Amino acid sequence: MSITLVNPCNERKLIAAQARRLQTMAGKTVALLDISKPGGNVFLDRLERALLESHAVARVTREIKPTFTKPAPEQLLERLRSVDAVIEALAD
Amino acid sequence: MVFLETDCPTCRLTIPYLNRLAEQTAQVIGISQDPETLTRQFVEQTSAAFPVEVDSNLQLTRAYDPVAVPAFVLVGADGYVKRAQIGFDKDELNAIATEMGRHPIADAHDGAPQRKPGCSSRHLEPVDSSAPAEPLNVYSAVGARASRIDVSEDPYEYCVREFGDPLPVVPPTVERVEHMMRGLDPAQVIGMIPPCYGEATVEKIAANAVMAGCEPAMMDVLLPLVRAVCDERLNIHGVQGTTHFAAPLIIVNGPIRRRLGFACGQNVFSNVARANSTLGRALQLILRNLGGAMPDGIDMSTLGNPGKFAYCIGENEEETPWEPLHVDLGFRSDQSAITLFAGEAPHGVSEHQARSAKGVLKAIAHALATVWSYRACMAAEALVVLGLEHVRTIHRDGFRKQDAREFLFNNTGIPIRAYDDDGEGTRQTHLYREVIIDGERCYQKFRSPDAIGIIVAGGGAGKFSAVIGSWATGSRGSQKVTYPCP
Repeated sequence: MSITLVNPCNERKLIAAQARRLQTMAGKTVALLDISKPGGNVFLDRLERALLESHAVARVTREIKPTFTKPAPEQLLERLRSVDAVIEALAD
Repeated sequence: MVFLETDCPTCRLTIPYLNRLAEQTAQVIGISQDPETLTRQFVEQTSAAFPVEVDSNLQLTRAYDPVAVPAFVLVGADGYVKRAQIGFDKDELNAIATEMGRHPIADAHDGAPQRKPGCSSRHLEPVDSSAPAEPLNVYSAVGARASRIDVSEDPYEYCVREFGDPLPVVPPTVERVEHMMRGLDPAQVIGMIPPCYGEATVEKIAANAVMAGCEPAMMDVLLPLVRAVCDERLNIHGVQGTTHFAAPLIIVNGPIRRRLGFACGQNVFSNVARANSTLGRALQLILRNLGGAMPDGIDMSTLGNPGKFAYCIGENEEETPWEPLHVDLGFRSDQSAITLFAGEAPHGVSEHQARSAKGVLKAIAHALATVWSYRACMAAEALVVLGLEHVRTIHRDGFRKQDAREFLFNNTGIPIRAYDDDGEGTRQTHLYREVIIDGERCYQKFRSPDAIGIIVAGGGAGKFSAVIGSWATGSRGSQKVTYPCP
């Protein structure tokens, strides 16, 4: 005998296409996103040097989220859409 | 005349208030800065009960030139502008109503913020010649019905495996869910639950309430609770995603505690009453099943919080010598309200020797000093849950609640000698306030007395209180929200 249940979960389909993968970093523009957690800038400073000196990255741009507690504002996301890759420094 | 945009959350917030003005036969006209299709959708979704005209080519907008919406323009019978206001402001809305000879339309304690800025007016937005993107409609008032699942195996096993948390749940059968909804519209959307923004329809809320074991009357609390948890001031998006310990604590005030059987005495934080346990659990199931904050996924909490099974207490209003929390916030004592506070697990304070208010409060101040991280000041907030024996001692010495709050504020500090090496909280000392506590130089722990919330709860025996530390606070973190219950 079967029993009929009401689905209690979110049924909206979340569609997120995987971003295109880069074959090389050489000549690309890379954005480094600091979510404004302590130490993020220290990590990203090192990463920036490594990208420019050892991976022939053409340009590095730096972005900072106003607060790590909330999603990034739309204007910031818009700027990130114009680069080839984004590296986000997530936590402390 | 009110200039509106269909995708502006503040404009949407304003509609019920304008409806109240229109109900009093005041002439209200909405001026939509968006095309007809979107405007029709907006009117339908928000149930706007006054005419909304489309401002083609933003002609009228350019003539009045508001910098942001909603923009309110009160035009007198002589055609002259008598008053203009940008953004949502309850006092200003009431002033407009008064000037129109109508009753006030904005209750200060209806759960909505006192003020909320709006969005930039369309005519000031940069012109983009490309085709406009279809806006994401996160505001639909009517949601999709839940799908049905035919289960032929043991329904308890099925539910544990497929949804809910690892504890068994009551299977949400069609009959049980219908009984829970008590004739409410199943498709009505009460909120969109972050971080995945699942639609919390009445039906979905009821299904989770069934699973948690709620009685149908609990829907009276659950619907305002879902609205409160989606309030942007609480920032549940961050609370659910953080590595910190925070979980939303529900505090229930007013007559609804007695009507629905909420415990506020002995063992208040524990498994003492069906109402506390099932409401707390229902909220957690909703956050997980509809918000998508899975404890092995998006909910990244390093150590978690036992409150994520259920975290719900009533204030012991019968035994407190002071006004309860919701009355402090401006509610009447015969009204009911729920408050949400993103907090850690309770940290116990034992003080059985002190015989004075100051002695008891000193013990609590020492515990408050450890909130977030001992040496971190000016950032976190805290909720103090005073036990009955403690609050009686404090009250006997003539302290009002505000006196107790100020005493805690003035006496919670970290000795400067503790800052002799590097660590969390030691690099921001230039932002701290230096004070003398008991003859010693200290940094003051909290920004202001308001950072310390006080409620009274618990049983009659035992000189215990509890301190609950906050998550990140203020407009960049999480703020307490309070919503009225019927």
